[in-house]
Amino acid sequence: MDAIHTFLEVKDLKTRFHTPEGTVYAVNGVSFTLKEGETLAVVGESGCGKSVTMMSILRLISIPPGEIVSGEVTYRDRNLLKLSESEMEHVRGKEVAMIFQDPMTSLNPVLTVGRQLTETLRTHTNMDEEQSRQRAVTLLEWVGIPDAGKRLTDYPHQFSGGMRQRVMIAMALACTPSLLIADEPTTALDVTIQAQIIELVKKLKQDVGMAMIWITHDLGVVAGIADRVIVMYAGFIVEEAEVDDLYDSPLHPYTTALLQALPRADRRRDKNLKSIQGVPPNLLAEPRGCPFAPRCEFVKERCVNENPLLIETENRHKVACWVNVKTGALR
Amino acid sequence: MTPPLQHGTFPLQRWRMLLKRFGWALFTILFVVVLNFFLFRVLPGDPARQGIRDPRLTPETIQAIRVRFGLDKPIINCFESLNPVKVGSCGVNPLDTQFFIYVKNLLKGDLGQSFYYNRPVKDILGERLWNTILLIGAGQILAILIGVVFGLFAAWKARTAIDYAALISGLVAWSLPTFWLAIILLFWGTNHGLPIGGKATPGMSSYPFMQQMGDLLQHLFLPTLAYTIIYMGEYMLIMRSSLLDVLAEDYILAAKAKGLSAFQILKDHALKNSMLPLVTLIAINLGFTVGGAVQIETVFSWPGLGGAIFEAVGRKDYPLLQGGFLLIAISVILANFIADLTYSYLDPRVQAD
Amino acid sequence: MNLTPIVNKTNSQVSVFWKSLRRNPMGLVGLAMLIAILAVAVFAPLIAPVHTAEITSKDIYNAPNSTHWLGTDDAGNDVLANFILGSRVSLIVGFFAAFISIVIGGLIGIIAGFYGGRVENTLMRITDIMLVIPDLPLMVVIIALTKPSLFNIIFVIGIFGWTTTARVVRSQTLAVKSRKFVLRARAIGAGNMHIIRHHILPLVLPILVVQAVLTVSSAILNESTLSFLGLGDPTAPSWGQMLNFAFSRGAMSTGAWWALVVPGFGIVWVVLGLTLFGQGLEQVLNPRLDTHHLMPGRPVVQSETAQLPSSEKILLDVRNLSINYINDDKAPARAVENVSFTLKEGELIGLVGESGCGKTTLMLALLRLLPAAGQIVNGKVFFNGKDLTALNEDEINAVRWKEISIVFQGAMNALNPVRTVGDQIAEAIIKHMPGFPHDLRLQERVVELLELVGIAADHKDHYPHQYSGGMRQRAMIAMALACNPQVIIADEPTTALDVMIQAQILELLDSLRKKLGLAIIFVTHDLGVVAEMCDHVLVMYGGVTAEYADVDTIYNEARHPYTQELLKAFPDLTKPKKKLSSIPGYPPRLDALPAGCRFAPRCPRVYARCHTEQPILYKLSDNHIASCHLLEASK
Repeated sequence: MDAIHTFLEVKDLKTRFHTPEGTVYAVNGVSFTLKEGETLAVVGESGCGKSVTMMSILRLISIPPGEIVSGEVTYRDRNLLKLSESEMEHVRGKEVAMIFQDPMTSLNPVLTVGRQLTETLRTHTNMDEEQSRQRAVTLLEWVGIPDAGKRLTDYPHQFSGGMRQRVMIAMALACTPSLLIADEPTTALDVTIQAQIIELVKKLKQDVGMAMIWITHDLGVVAGIADRVIVMYAGFIVEEAEVDDLYDSPLHPYTTALLQALPRADRRRDKNLKSIQGVPPNLLAEPRGCPFAPRCEFVKERCVNENPLLIETENRHKVACWVNVKTGALR
Repeated sequence: MTPPLQHGTFPLQRWRMLLKRFGWALFTILFVVVLNFFLFRVLPGDPARQGIRDPRLTPETIQAIRVRFGLDKPIINCFESLNPVKVGSCGVNPLDTQFFIYVKNLLKGDLGQSFYYNRPVKDILGERLWNTILLIGAGQILAILIGVVFGLFAAWKARTAIDYAALISGLVAWSLPTFWLAIILLFWGTNHGLPIGGKATPGMSSYPFMQQMGDLLQHLFLPTLAYTIIYMGEYMLIMRSSLLDVLAEDYILAAKAKGLSAFQILKDHALKNSMLPLVTLIAINLGFTVGGAVQIETVFSWPGLGGAIFEAVGRKDYPLLQGGFLLIAISVILANFIADLTYSYLDPRVQAD
Repeated sequence: MNLTPIVNKTNSQVSVFWKSLRRNPMGLVGLAMLIAILAVAVFAPLIAPVHTAEITSKDIYNAPNSTHWLGTDDAGNDVLANFILGSRVSLIVGFFAAFISIVIGGLIGIIAGFYGGRVENTLMRITDIMLVIPDLPLMVVIIALTKPSLFNIIFVIGIFGWTTTARVVRSQTLAVKSRKFVLRARAIGAGNMHIIRHHILPLVLPILVVQAVLTVSSAILNESTLSFLGLGDPTAPSWGQMLNFAFSRGAMSTGAWWALVVPGFGIVWVVLGLTLFGQGLEQVLNPRLDTHHLMPGRPVVQSETAQLPSSEKILLDVRNLSINYINDDKAPARAVENVSFTLKEGELIGLVGESGCGKTTLMLALLRLLPAAGQIVNGKVFFNGKDLTALNEDEINAVRWKEISIVFQGAMNALNPVRTVGDQIAEAIIKHMPGFPHDLRLQERVVELLELVGIAADHKDHYPHQYSGGMRQRAMIAMALACNPQVIIADEPTTALDVMIQAQILELLDSLRKKLGLAIIFVTHDLGVVAEMCDHVLVMYGGVTAEYADVDTIYNEARHPYTQELLKAFPDLTKPKKKLSSIPGYPPRLDALPAGCRFAPRCPRVYARCHTEQPILYKLSDNHIASCHLLEASK
């Protein structure tokens, strides 16, 4: 282990859902670490398990039908999976905060924004009415909402989409958490607003010094904000690297496919690269072998039978693949 | 959170769900049977004493009557000492209690003997049930037709005069107390030569068939009209709001973009979707009104099931009450089950419970 | 359930509610009726006429006259007096019984909905049994066999009236519980009680109130029915009892209509008032959009616009199109103003802009699919020389789908959930290709179309809910191709899709373009897609054309400040660490447009003229126009 105090360590997390159609193997042994103040991006398509992983960390999965089958989530030397519900409630919002994708649905339409902002404060601190109101105003100003004092008594629908997301960020940061988990925070926003939010979050992170996990399916966005990136597929981590490394030399065929699939301004009529057909696997079956095997151009027999482990190659670049994509041979 | 089904494992689940629902229906029937039995024993008043409220009867006669109607047996094992757990320990043969005799007879289809009519309850209820079905059958069909058609036009031409007219008349019809509407109609009807009640003019049975039918129709006219008006209001309102919701859906716009005419869209895309809530409602209504046509039957003296129950209440005719009640409850439960079946057949989205 | 209140300047939830109710005629009428009858009941002893004269047999069933305004009943009593006094009983029984029902139903509903699991199952089983037991007969039996007292009646009606409320409250609790903000509240560490009190309750209360109103009306109906059947409390005469006496004591035969009509009228008044009020409440609390897609559209305002001289093969020629949304009480919203573009065979034009810029409105207008409030107020749409804006409904139906088809944004809901996907695709073919045989060949064609978009043949007879979101989107594309149209309008077709599937679809569209000469209008906000796919680009902002040029020009020589800022705001993989430039502020609301240039409030190069005068479209070259005052000099 690093000399630096391990801030968050997730070890072999497995989460499943028991549905009438069968058991959904949503997260199948995810492990990663996070240092204080670090920004980690978690990338993958719908259903790859990125949201479920984060929700499992905060124990926000509904149980039933969900079940965190095994694993350890060590946050500052405490295993979050073993805490009681009331101890978890102390962690949520105060130490670890989370913001979600669509700000409109994340806000209760019949409560004022001020009410919902001070909710966090009242849950975790002893602030009285006036103190929490003051703090709420400060928070709104901090995230760049003009006329903050008056806006406290407005309702969510009176804010535009971008402003609502700012409010969400303010709510998340109310108790100055050490870790912010952002689940697709800009996916539902227009591109110019997206840019605003990304810049805001970057600035706040610097000011507060918090660590961040940014979940997204948009590889274009990741490049500008993350230190390290995890790529997930079918409930597994398939690649982990520092951000420049990932873009310069992706080691997993899926990562390469993702990067190729992104529409790019500099590749306008170059259609030599064909996109990969097929869809991600059905999570209703217990995973056997590498989940990407059916769609992989480098597939070997070993891939079909054995699920590759996540191993480190060079400069903290990890990949879960039997094949060396540069040479096409087995590792 | 969970990925959608990509293959149809569908029919198996559907059967499983239906079986579950059917099992539940059976359980409910069982529950009602038990409830039915105890209800009439637990309510105040010794059935025997109530059933034959003649003060001239000597205690011996009363006892004889009680024996005759099986009322001398213990209700259920140790019921009197409120200790049903210790089976057999009060020296009573559990199979000789009223409850088990009741259940045994039920399974044989024997609903007992009416105190008042001194005929098998089964026969009386049978006749009455048929009359009720005749009444509500006609009424429901008309109510459905009129309600659906008006509701459809109201929704299609929303915010026009047709819509407002239909809405107001539907709301008014729905707000009318059934028995009052019946009274008013009867009042108006008798002043215009329609019969004052009953199912047939006395002595009609000796007339030729056609005239009997004409007479029946005359007697059926007003009660059916009352029934239709009441239910038409409800169906129209439901159809209207359901169709309004459907017509605002994206797939209707998509159908329009496909170049389909308004008529085609209504026929092929909107109707089935909007009728779903209505179908369930109709089935449930049918179930309820087997017994719930009390009001109309009372006012028009129509010899139906609801009226029979009402009379039996007044006369404290327990066996008839018990039997009638059971019959109504069973029909409601079955109607609910059929409603579930129909709905799940029509709506492919309904899967497991 | 949509609980967003109508946007206006006041903040208080309650005052917003009252404002909406004031605008609702049904609710107001109902409320007025209720207040009237409540006043009668409250002041009953004061307003009921008193007759001290001794009653004789001559007073029985007197028709309305000067002494007895509404006549007398079977016992010679004044009908009006009885009516007024009887109101108290009916209303008291109604309200108290309903109160019992609402409390029981509300508690059961919330507990069952929130806690779920065993608790919910048990409570719902109990509710189901209660629902199934026939109310009226059982009420009749119970009251007949016990003592018909006021208390008993209230109790019995109350005990039987809670089932619908429980069901409705439970569904609503379940719906609220699954909403994101409850998850968010849990994410900040709120406990169950807090969530129930502060998040669930406020959203369940409105539905509970509506249910309460309906429960009161059914309780009153029940009371009157029971009284009519002779089971009312003889010491507390209600309207139902008045009817009982009248009916069973010869009012019919003596023709004493007043004794029958008056009490019934009272019941109808109360119940109707409650029903109207309840409906009004429901409309306010749950505003259903009061338009639907089959409402007649507004007539097109005909203009004198001419089409472009058809030098090349121009398929679609949109000239100076302007579209307004008409609001009853405000000025019309100018959603699209003076937009023009052309589309040639095999061409792909990208329509770029952010939310609220009017792109969807523009697309809908091309096929005359605007909602009831929309109206084309200027300009024309020429398709192969034919003026689409001048066609009637039948004529445009022939063009829709066959010549021009559309893939809607968010295709998730564009498929009818109760019909199979294959069926819906076949429908388009049957409608527009009358020569096509309706047999196996039709099914084969459907399969062919599905396979074109990567959907396996065995999915043909599945229902939309059996498809994933991405599959539904692809099915819509297959459907759009069914009649071999000349133009496809694709409104953000890949926005909700994963990047790999997006890549597959873009490839498909591109290959169709090359193979079939398909022309495509591709609406998007993703500049990367635009760069990869488009020949020409139309950039819209606030309903007007900001810039229109071929794609190379847009990328390398953009002249409109908005286009320039947009390009800077877009993350570019080739320069990942580039600081994303963001434009401060937000797009304008179409019902509150600024006076001059619509981009002025956010433009980094704004000057005085921009705030007062809207810029015209400047032609910078044959293929490049932009609307900015700064370009005047370069004309």
